[in-house]
Amino acid sequence: MSENNTSPKRRWVFVMEPERCINCEACMVACSVENVVPLGEHRNWINKIERGTFPDLSAVYLPENCHHCANPPCERVCPTGATYRREDGLVLIDYEKCIGCKYCMMACPYDARYVNEEKTAVDKCTFCVHRLDEGLPPACVETCVGNARHFGDLNDPNSEVSKLLATHDSYRLYEEAGTEPAIYYIRT
Amino acid sequence: MEHNTVHFHWNMLIVFYLFTAGMSAGAFFVSGLATYLGGARYKRISRIGAMVAPWPLSLGLFALIFDLTKPFEFWWLFLTVQYTSPMSIGSWLLTLFSIISFIYLILWIPRPWRDLLRVPYTLADLTHLRAWKPLNRRAVGIARRVVAAIGAPLTIGVGMYTGVLLGAVTARPMWNTPMVAQLFLLSAISSGVATVLLIAAFIHPKGDHDHLHAERHFLVSLDAMLIVLEIFIVIPFLLHQTLNTWSSAESLNLIMGGPYTLAFWGGVALLGLLIPLAIEGFELFPVIWQEQAVKYSRLWGGLSASLVLLGGFLLRYVFVYAGQVSHFLPLYVR
Repeated sequence: MSENNTSPKRRWVFVMEPERCINCEACMVACSVENVVPLGEHRNWINKIERGTFPDLSAVYLPENCHHCANPPCERVCPTGATYRREDGLVLIDYEKCIGCKYCMMACPYDARYVNEEKTAVDKCTFCVHRLDEGLPPACVETCVGNARHFGDLNDPNSEVSKLLATHDSYRLYEEAGTEPAIYYIRT
Repeated sequence: MEHNTVHFHWNMLIVFYLFTAGMSAGAFFVSGLATYLGGARYKRISRIGAMVAPWPLSLGLFALIFDLTKPFEFWWLFLTVQYTSPMSIGSWLLTLFSIISFIYLILWIPRPWRDLLRVPYTLADLTHLRAWKPLNRRAVGIARRVVAAIGAPLTIGVGMYTGVLLGAVTARPMWNTPMVAQLFLLSAISSGVATVLLIAAFIHPKGDHDHLHAERHFLVSLDAMLIVLEIFIVIPFLLHQTLNTWSSAESLNLIMGGPYTLAFWGGVALLGLLIPLAIEGFELFPVIWQEQAVKYSRLWGGLSASLVLLGGFLLRYVFVYAGQVSHFLPLYVR
């Protein structure tokens, strides 16, 4: 990752490989430690999805966090402008402007937001913006033991995420809602 | 790790606020309508509506503000206008409506007390406080009509906003239909009528009884009409949600066998719509079929009005709570 990470020419995305996820929850621990997430709340999580019928059963794990939508419903409904979209597409919260009406929590189809009682504001995954601005990947990506989480710039054709998406079939969650989410899942 | 467990981040405070905002808007609307349609004939209900209008909303706004994680920083709402946020537009609407409704209240204060309010009649009087005079009858009459006319679109706006607030949320299939705003608007006006009806039934009636019959006729027929219109929305709402996407149909199960079935069918539909409509129909029956006047009855007026208010509250309860449970379809792996 190079400097000037906030350039509008960037499009930060996650590419998840569900087949590599073993539900160890290390990403959740890393995130909570990195972002001092209050106990009981999480900025990222893992969906366990069962497929098939007995006896042909299998389980797939979909790691998830805020999708940093290009068309974010949370930003649209925010009455104070506390939730905003940065030039590079990150959806962030101005904790001072957030009065905690929780309207964004109603609007998010991914349930990515929680009330941070310590900040008395609504909070969520920031794609580890503080690390990103220093040229580091998000903590969950760095810690992922199965290498299921990939992060990078979709507008850079040589990035790992671009190459993964170019060579694999992928899908996004609730794409049909028009949110333009920035987390891609490799088809299993 | 179960992520999608339901938390009710919007609770009874929000239900109370949506209900009281509607009640205020409705009371103002009825008062204005009575002023324009009936003039002196409906003066008593115009006055009751005007006296009531600002208060429920004021209480509701307290509830709303204390639901915030930062109650004392609500003023951030008023540093900006976010055009895509119903809550932002609504905050401004409510503020405007509150101001108008308090002005309207002052204009309806009865005679000896109203004269305490003095205004300058000419520009030259502006600087001479002693020259200020109480409002005369004609000026008050005009002012009431003007303020009622300014307030009318605001009442519609407030009534509609309480529904749009929910309806604008795509992620909650139970809310995401224009019918919620329509239903909330009609229910808001209906609860305003009911509030006026309830108070009119219990404060000591002065003057001739023809007056009371006439105003009762006005209120009861207005409310009956509103209830019928509400039913005309509830039925298509049920049909459309069933025939809509799978997640909409799933969300309807919350009131069709799910945890909110009793509150919706027993509370909203039966107690809040059908029984009051039956009572009002019973009251209106002699008017329609025997060409008699509506009888002024405390029992029936008080009962139907109380039930309408209960139903209006439960309607908001069901939608706020069940709506938060409603969700897009569960994730599946492709």
